[in-house]
Amino acid sequence: MDLALALQLNAVDPLNPINLPYFAARSLLRLTLAFGLSLGFALAYGIAAAMSRRASHVLLPVLDVLQSVPVLGFLPAVFIFVLTRVPGEGGQELASIILIFTAMVWAMTFAVITGINQIPNDIKEASKAYGITRSRYLRQVVLPAIYPELIWGCILAWGGAWYFIPVEEYATFGMTQVQLKGLGFFIAQAATESRLDSAIIGLVAMVLVIIAINRIVWRPLVARTEKYRYEATGGQRGFHARHGKLRSSLLKYEGRIANPIVTFFKYEKTNLSSFLETVPRVHVPPKVRERLARIFLVTRVIVIIGFLGLMVLVIFFLENSPIPTLQAALNQIQSFQPIKGCTGCLSGFPLLAYSTASSLLRLLAAYLIALGWTLLAGIAIARRQKLAKALIPIFDIGQSIPATALFPIVTLLILSRISSPMGIQLASIVLLLTGMQWYLLFNIIGAIHNIPNDISESTSAYGVSGKRFIREILIPASFPAIISGSMQAWGGGWNATIVSEYIVTGQQQVQQVAGLGAVLVNANNAGSAGTVVIATAIIIMTLTILIINRLVWHRLMKRADRYKFES
Amino acid sequence: MTEEPVIRIDNVSKSFLSEEKPVAVLENVSFNVGKEFLCIVGPSGCGKSTLLRMIDGLDRPSQGNVYFHGKPVEGPTPMMGMVFQTFALIPWKTVLENVEMGLAWMKITEEDRLRRSEKFIQDVGLDGFEASYPKELSGGMKQRVGIARALALEPEVLLMDEPFSSLDALTAEGLRKEVLEIWSNPQFSTNSVIMVTHNVQEAVGMADTVIVMSPRPGKVIDNVRIEMDRPRDQRDPRFYDYVDRIISKIS
Ligand SMILES: Nc1ncnc2c1ncn2[C@@H]1O[C@H](COP(=O)(O)OP(=O)(O)O)[C@@H](O)[C@H]1O
Ligand SMILES: [Mg+2]
Repeated sequence: MDLALALQLNAVDPLNPINLPYFAARSLLRLTLAFGLSLGFALAYGIAAAMSRRASHVLLPVLDVLQSVPVLGFLPAVFIFVLTRVPGEGGQELASIILIFTAMVWAMTFAVITGINQIPNDIKEASKAYGITRSRYLRQVVLPAIYPELIWGCILAWGGAWYFIPVEEYATFGMTQVQLKGLGFFIAQAATESRLDSAIIGLVAMVLVIIAINRIVWRPLVARTEKYRYEATGGQRGFHARHGKLRSSLLKYEGRIANPIVTFFKYEKTNLSSFLETVPRVHVPPKVRERLARIFLVTRVIVIIGFLGLMVLVIFFLENSPIPTLQAALNQIQSFQPIKGCTGCLSGFPLLAYSTASSLLRLLAAYLIALGWTLLAGIAIARRQKLAKALIPIFDIGQSIPATALFPIVTLLILSRISSPMGIQLASIVLLLTGMQWYLLFNIIGAIHNIPNDISESTSAYGVSGKRFIREILIPASFPAIISGSMQAWGGGWNATIVSEYIVTGQQQVQQVAGLGAVLVNANNAGSAGTVVIATAIIIMTLTILIINRLVWHRLMKRADRYKFES
Repeated sequence: MTEEPVIRIDNVSKSFLSEEKPVAVLENVSFNVGKEFLCIVGPSGCGKSTLLRMIDGLDRPSQGNVYFHGKPVEGPTPMMGMVFQTFALIPWKTVLENVEMGLAWMKITEEDRLRRSEKFIQDVGLDGFEASYPKELSGGMKQRVGIARALALEPEVLLMDEPFSSLDALTAEGLRKEVLEIWSNPQFSTNSVIMVTHNVQEAVGMADTVIVMSPRPGKVIDNVRIEMDRPRDQRDPRFYDYVDRIISKIS
């Protein structure tokens, strides 16, 4: 009866808070269905790859390549593909579930494989020696071994999926308007109607749902993981106990980087190569490992470019347009303009160059702000235990808010106070900030927590305190974490450009700033006339990130070795 | 009882909160430290490090007090130098910078600071390693840096928390001898050494007084004066007697 009531009110005013339980249920249903699919896929794929040596030679590299495919590039292709076959709301639901699936599945599959590879050799041999059947081996050895990693993988996957919800519940692809009832839709709709109170209510509801799921589902499951860990990782156990909360906050957040474009820029290390490092019995010499990493990286860049080419072809095929020649593709880029028929506006390659530079500058501004406040917060927490106890749970809630859900609200708040163009620039930077700051914060707090007790005691025993302690101990000790946090933050920031440079405010009014993200959205809206531009923009973004990583972060990372404590 | 000892530990108890419940670590610990080499032995976990940290003022007792020349210890002072079991050297500072960092208390010129650090680095036999980083040094050399850092303060009391237990047996033996040599040097300004260890032979070999502690919660169960001249011979029957007496108390 409640449902009927909700549906009835729905039609009158979708923003009535009474609809929220229904909307939450719709979002959750979508997530749960995608999660079920992911779980099935992860278990099947992971067990196949891990149980059979021969299968793993094929399955592992394929998985590594698949997970680096930019999901955002998928977005239009998937929607057009599904909607041409299953029109209407059913098709939209199907497409959105497929997209959530792609956001969830890789973290979980890798978790399954990692879990299986942590089974110690003597246990495997003992099972063989005692003639345990395959099905018992699976139930009594393999599944328990998978369990702890899989739980963390699931937490990561859900974090990533929530980031997606606001984007795919309310989106435009060419002529297609996607509006799926759900919490993300609620927030976006409220923002479109400039109803701040409703938007905030929607956000609060979403955060409550996320926190409730963490408490009710994941926390009890995580608590049970310790039971299934092998002794070999005993050294880690102390770490889990002491830093469990921080670790989980960072992990939950890191899930969000498994997102639209820049998955593999996490550490610019492929899952496969970092996975190789966790397998104790494979002794890969560092030189070979480095070469492997380079090969993987090149492969992934090639795969991205190849995939984007394919995507362009698929879309042209689906829309029954003629396949573009190289000349036609170049023409499309040359004539591309964010605002149609705008005279004196940039277009073509100059537009792309200008947009890249603008995005970079805004990212830099947001990065510096994020670095400043997180460093201050880290220092404050390091110096006062009580403050740490009070702030860390707050940060934990903060990081659980999907930045994409925050975007409409931030925009609304800023744009109603500061008129454009200053307002829109500022809003854009704040939005980037929400996508960048947590990586830095949790890395820095983690590093400060990891300062060995004896070191911090020795500094107070010898009277090294105040500014000197901050300058000579805290900041150097956080340096490695600042660098890896920075790489993650820039990855998250590039993802955020897509949703932060092109903002739809009240009454479908569009506000945008120059940037690669805005180019992507505009090209998306142009339908098949924009596909080549999308591909080009994604390639430019990929290469920019790659170059910055090589020129800046990798060099700093080498220097950071000095600042690591011996374990 | 008229003369105040260098350090007086007066009925000290300490408990920590573990999962919201207080856990007693030390109970009613009392003893005096004069101008002597004193060792605290006890099974691991009995609160030896906690006690040493309270003597240095890094932590406060839950009950009772620690007195330094009759005044309660409020916090770390330059009158005491601390040597840590895990060396506690800053990896991004050179040997010289690590030792200099220990002089943060001293209001002296940069030049004096440098000269003083160099002198003590020489005294512990690390001549020529001033510009090395800790990770380039062996365990024994790292602990020499730790000792130089403590000695450079010219402290009245030297505190050492299991300084040799992270070292291999041979290195530890050599370093023990050197510490005793420095201790017997009349130029050495330190009056008292308090060393924590769980190695009874080490304690009997080095100390004037051995404080024996019970398993957690730690209490003083014996206070043994070692009446033997240094250097002590481990094959001396009296050495055995002392070791036996202490081990029988602990177990
Ligand atoms: N800061 C602390 N918080 C909680 N428990 C502590 C803390 N420091 C020490 N303990 C506990 O107090 C006990 C004694 O520790 P410690 O003094 O290091 O023993 P010892 O040095 O004799 O091995 C241990 O059980 C330890 O877990
Ligand atoms: Mg100890």
